[in-house]
Amino acid sequence: MTRAASPRPRRWVPWLLTGAAYAGFVISLYLTFVHYRGYVSPCYVVHGCEAVQTSRYAVIMGVPLALVGTVFFALMFYLGIGLLTSSRLLVLRVYKVLAFAGALAIIPLFLLQAIVLKAFCTYCVATEAIMLVLWVVSFLLTAPGRSGLGRSRPTL
Amino acid sequence: MHALRQHLLAAKGAPWVGGSLLVLLAVGALYLFTGAAASEPSRTPQPRADDISFGPADAPLSVIEYSDFQCPFCAEYAPILATLREKYGDRVKFVFRFYPLAGHPYATIAAKAAYAASLQGKFWEMHDLLFGNQKEWSESADPRPFFNAYAKSLGLDLDRFHADADAQSTTDFIARQAAEGKQGGVTHTPWFVVGDSVVLPRSLEEFDKVIQEAL
Repeated sequence: MTRAASPRPRRWVPWLLTGAAYAGFVISLYLTFVHYRGYVSPCYVVHGCEAVQTSRYAVIMGVPLALVGTVFFALMFYLGIGLLTSSRLLVLRVYKVLAFAGALAIIPLFLLQAIVLKAFCTYCVATEAIMLVLWVVSFLLTAPGRSGLGRSRPTL
Repeated sequence: MHALRQHLLAAKGAPWVGGSLLVLLAVGALYLFTGAAASEPSRTPQPRADDISFGPADAPLSVIEYSDFQCPFCAEYAPILATLREKYGDRVKFVFRFYPLAGHPYATIAAKAAYAASLQGKFWEMHDLLFGNQKEWSESADPRPFFNAYAKSLGLDLDRFHADADAQSTTDFIARQAAEGKQGGVTHTPWFVVGDSVVLPRSLEEFDKVIQEAL
């Protein structure tokens, strides 16, 4: 009787999630700075950003969506570091819940651009794609003790 | 064993420290990046005799703007440029060049209206009306009645205005400026060239500073 080979731990998963969250953080932070500094941005040859950024949907109840995105991605970035350094089940669960919430948020954001504004902003689409990546890749995360979290932490 | 434990505990904190440094780096870099008026050498043509301009023909400094009348950010810059024209109009040549973006369906027809007005000596007046009322005509089903009304309010000869707007020479003029802009690397509007440098000042104060430094 041969022993079944255990699956290789996916070490790249938390690294990818952390890197993607950082990219989302940088993009959202840029849009937040532009918003709060009240700067005038240009209209790019690839149409869309100006229509989205100047729309009334860019700010909800006084809070710019860019700031919400910045906070979300910062949280996902630090949770990603948590996944890299800890094997706590709570971190994993919180990560998956937030990744799912982010994926849900994509639906109204994308529909607003496609149907209401009829314009796509490159920055916004990029952050939505990152949110989707975070959600999809989070399925590869498995509970501590099983493979997938990227590392098994030795007990000293 | 104790040393090894200390080493491992320290290593565990390293990603948090490194991550936080990355966050601080992003905040600092973006703070500086979004605050700076970047500058690069221009590859678009220098002012020419057939350019639409404001200010002395032999001015020591030129400010060239590639613009799109349907671009909301160009409209936001319009009052900034108006202030600068008033302040530096005796020392600086302000050149307006057409760069209608494909994503703006009325940008070309608005450019034609402005060019037709320029042939009757009322370009800047039409320019101000188009930008000042951009929302009204750009969100309408047909902008032409608005352009006609602006032309009428400026006292233009309407028959000539229509003929000039529809002329092939007008289409060619706008297309040539846009093509030269594209060749010169224009990727967005407004696109400003102060002297020999492409700049994107983000406020009246920044723009004023750029011109003062160039003079």
